[in-house]
Amino acid sequence: MNAQILALALFDGLSYAALVFMVAVGLTLIFGVLRVLNVAHGSFFAMGAYTTASVGSAIFAAGFAPWLAFPLMAVSAILIGVLVGGTVEKLLLSRIYEMEDVLQILVTFAVFMMLEDVQRLIWGVQPLFESTAVNLLGTIEVFGIVYTKYQLLFLPAVAASVLILLRLGLRHTLTGHLILAVTEDREAAISIGIDAQKVYLVTFIVGASLAAFGGALASATTSVIPGMGADMIVLSFAVVATAGFGQIEGAAIAAVLIGLGRSFAVYFYPELEVLMPYLIMFVVLLIRPNGLFAPVEARKI
Amino acid sequence: MTDQVMMDVQGLEIRFGGVVAAAGINFQIYEGRNLAIIGPNGAGKTTFLNMCTGYLKPHAGKIIYEGEDVAGIGPRKLVKKGVARAFQIPQLFAEHSVRENILMAVAAASGYEAPLTRLEDISGASEADRILEMLKCSNLAERPVQELPEGQRKLIDIGVALALKPRLLFLDEPTSGVASTEKFAILEIIAEALEEENVTSVFVEHDEGIVERFADEVAVWNRGEVLYRGTPQDILTHPDVIRDVMGGHV
Repeated sequence: MNAQILALALFDGLSYAALVFMVAVGLTLIFGVLRVLNVAHGSFFAMGAYTTASVGSAIFAAGFAPWLAFPLMAVSAILIGVLVGGTVEKLLLSRIYEMEDVLQILVTFAVFMMLEDVQRLIWGVQPLFESTAVNLLGTIEVFGIVYTKYQLLFLPAVAASVLILLRLGLRHTLTGHLILAVTEDREAAISIGIDAQKVYLVTFIVGASLAAFGGALASATTSVIPGMGADMIVLSFAVVATAGFGQIEGAAIAAVLIGLGRSFAVYFYPELEVLMPYLIMFVVLLIRPNGLFAPVEARKI
Repeated sequence: MTDQVMMDVQGLEIRFGGVVAAAGINFQIYEGRNLAIIGPNGAGKTTFLNMCTGYLKPHAGKIIYEGEDVAGIGPRKLVKKGVARAFQIPQLFAEHSVRENILMAVAAASGYEAPLTRLEDISGASEADRILEMLKCSNLAERPVQELPEGQRKLIDIGVALALKPRLLFLDEPTSGVASTEKFAILEIIAEALEEENVTSVFVEHDEGIVERFADEVAVWNRGEVLYRGTPQDILTHPDVIRDVMGGHV
């Protein structure tokens, strides 16, 4: 086995894991609090990517400074999270929290299909490519391999920061405590005057913004094409299920596991590339049906 | 004690299937008079509490509070108007500490300014310590609620309710699940705190000793109706009450 290929697989896996984590952590946060499996999450990822790539192309063509690529990612993510995510929660999801899980999944799936067409309507079907951010950071040589700093250092650093900020935010801010309180016991939260509807809305917007941020980050490294949302949602489902639903740190570890599994497959067993994430999920769920990090539930009988 | 009506219940009706849980109840709650509600199981006592605190919408009738019909407006809005509720089973956030539970209620009462501040640093945070001291629970502040025995959980639940700054507090069996040796001590603390905070209380209770000691007034419920109302001395010695409600023994 060639050490360079091994290192390449490692780098690819880590940078890919960082992107998948951004999407998966939003998905698991929304599920943990709202108890809704949000299929439309993939659309937020794609729309974050499209917005960043299209606005980026426009402003850099108009001669704006290249460093604006970074704030643009955050702005696009929040914009998609608030406008698209907020609208979806307010108009649709807030009406169906009391209903069956199947119906909730169907509704978010319908939203996903609609948003897919909305993307085609706004951005067409031609691939977009805008890599100013990657070019700006340049490359680094490790073990004789030239790799972009953006993928090797920036993406994992951003993902780690998001993980830490989320943890601090949930444990140490008033909003975080309200989110945890509503998650633990919605009725009790309402009885002390907490606005559960607003907590749901805020959580959904945060989750959607994270997915869009993942898309914004990804847009600098790859062509933005129709269907990228569908690929990402399936993969992040695998991450969330492997970790256990609602597990934030677990999602990070599962993302690394699945990211590495996939990239090693690419270099050593290319036939298994697509299968690998699901193979990992399959094996994990076979041994721990609630996921790697889900708390052990007391036996009902 | 005053004759000022705080909550005026008019013609309250509710049925569950064929069971009438409130059969046109007319009832006034007076400011400063602590009221005990007694009656057999299934008499509609908890249903009445649920309607007065916004958890249940009556099929007919009005609940006038501060000049406004508040029937069915929901617990969150009623809490903001000063009507709070403590449950038979304390509704606390088990994984949070005692102080955090109270701080969340303090934050709820003050309308969540500054959503990104630390919970310990919210304005009015000292209020939580004052309440804990009043309930003689200061030593429990850092303990996770799930570790506490039932009696202390009941006190913390009252603390959460008091943090909401209520004028009127409904308590559903404040001493149920508490060891009989502790009941009086716990209710003594609760009663003192309510008086200090100027809160009028309405409590459902089965224990006659407790009713006699802590209520200014007693109302007897049965089959969705109020049968009798009076001072504890009159009601608890009333021959019909003894026969109908207490199964013939005092």
